[in-house]
Amino acid sequence: MNAGRSSNCRDRGVSADHERKFGAIVTLLTHCFVISVLAVAMLVLGESTAYAKVDYSRPVNAAPKQQDIGKTYQVPPVQRVPPRSLWIYGLDVLLLAVGLVVAALVAHRWRRRWMAVAISIFSIAYFGFYRQGCVCPVGSVQNVTASFVDSSLAVPLVVLLFFLLPLIAALFVGRVFCGGLCPLGAIQDIVVLRPVQLPPAVDHWGGKFKYVYLVLAIWFAAQPAATRDFVICRFDPFIGFFRLNGTAWLLSIGAAFLLVGTVVGRPYCRFLCPYGGLLAIVARFSFWPVRITPDEELDCGLCAESCPFGAVKNLRADRMTCLACTRCFAHCPRQQYQWGDIELIEVEQLVEAHREKSLATSKPAASTPV
Amino acid sequence: MSDTNRREFLQRTGQAACAVALGSTAIVLGRRACAGDSWAIAPNKCINIRLGVTGADKVCEACATSCVLPLSAVRAVNEHSLCGRCCICPAYFDVRSSMGPDGLPTKKVCPRDAIKRTVIGDVDANDPLNNFYEYTIDEELCNGCGRCVMECKDPAGLGSIRLEVRYDRCLHCNQCTIATHCPEDAYTRVGPQPRPAIALEGEAG
Repeated sequence: MNAGRSSNCRDRGVSADHERKFGAIVTLLTHCFVISVLAVAMLVLGESTAYAKVDYSRPVNAAPKQQDIGKTYQVPPVQRVPPRSLWIYGLDVLLLAVGLVVAALVAHRWRRRWMAVAISIFSIAYFGFYRQGCVCPVGSVQNVTASFVDSSLAVPLVVLLFFLLPLIAALFVGRVFCGGLCPLGAIQDIVVLRPVQLPPAVDHWGGKFKYVYLVLAIWFAAQPAATRDFVICRFDPFIGFFRLNGTAWLLSIGAAFLLVGTVVGRPYCRFLCPYGGLLAIVARFSFWPVRITPDEELDCGLCAESCPFGAVKNLRADRMTCLACTRCFAHCPRQQYQWGDIELIEVEQLVEAHREKSLATSKPAASTPV
Repeated sequence: MSDTNRREFLQRTGQAACAVALGSTAIVLGRRACAGDSWAIAPNKCINIRLGVTGADKVCEACATSCVLPLSAVRAVNEHSLCGRCCICPAYFDVRSSMGPDGLPTKKVCPRDAIKRTVIGDVDANDPLNNFYEYTIDEELCNGCGRCVMECKDPAGLGSIRLEVRYDRCLHCNQCTIATHCPEDAYTRVGPQPRPAIALEGEAG
């Protein structure tokens, strides 16, 4: 048995499959780049007249002139703040696009956990605290719905791109947006300290809630203007942290989510996030889903054990639920061997130790290949 | 059709369906998308700014109370070139409050005391009414409640104060709550088309 395994553990180097994946990522990179360049170009071309003069006049102008007041008096400038310049919006879109490409490369090629953590921290800092959670793809579902239903509404280009880019990425490489680029996901991801495995049934049926929420959000956003309600934004549990302000009950719900999130990985993402539902549907058909093992399957089940979200099913990352957090890579013995972190003999030791442990705790389900 | 073929077929169909859905969303909404997604207050509609209604007790506070930010993104701006620089400014003093020993009303209009009053020019120390005063609004205190805007209007005021969106504060929310609560539909998204010129006095004067 042992001898057979070790003969399988050949270092085959970069396989043809890897080459293909790299080609795919380059394609995605090009697509994202083209889209963001187009977006910035459209933003600049469609130069906003938002701050154009809204004519404002009064019947009389009896304001005293400068010489009436006194020679030395200077009329102070009007306190006026120009609109945020367009390049800042362009920057938002560009950062999202570049972030998606980097997240895709991390999930598919570089496979390092610290990179995903770095993306999370960047996302919390920029999209979370600096941009205060607006505009976010999660809420943009409602904008897009509303402007589909009501043709008098025009969804801003930035919102449209924020809605589309993560979905396009999901179609190509899976839910890399969820992995760390989403500020709501990132804030939950960094509090996952001692994750427990939920029963598969809870994962399965609890995960259906997000589709119910998605349908509800679309329903409320599709109402006529007077009764239209953007529930996702209203009941966003984490926005209060980013804005350092919010109603007490929403803040406490957010705190409760984070508290529960220390043991149950990312409860909002898995069970509630409506955009996550949309991404899951698209990611179901993704061209290049996340692959856990770099080259060779050992059927050891260490990946399934390391996944806090119950996304490893039959020792494969489930396309719909895998959040591309890259945790499993760090636990994969073959991956560690490829990085040169461990010797070949240690690969077997790891696998053997895990097999004995799972036999001892009489939970064969995790390690038995189906 | 074998099982593998069927799975492959479903997968390809799903991919095509997703691509078509995303593409058509991009095309349909992209054609309507506007670069200018700034919110602006139409002065001829806003009940606080437009002529015809006066009195701080009739003020509409939607801009101050509806914004998702702790301090509203709307604030009052004093257009200094239009300001009369009055001694007893109706937007600064509550002119219906009792008179103090210095001949000035004792109460102020602004509930947050955001307006600063400084004497300017050649100062006549004996007669305050003979001086000019500069009124500046503290951006960090003003929450855009509109009381001063309501008072600084014909007939008492010259209408130099009005409400404006602070574009540096505004988050450009997915759905602006001020816009939904505005009773006069004065709070609108400014799109790519230039707005028609608005003659204020002809409309409500």
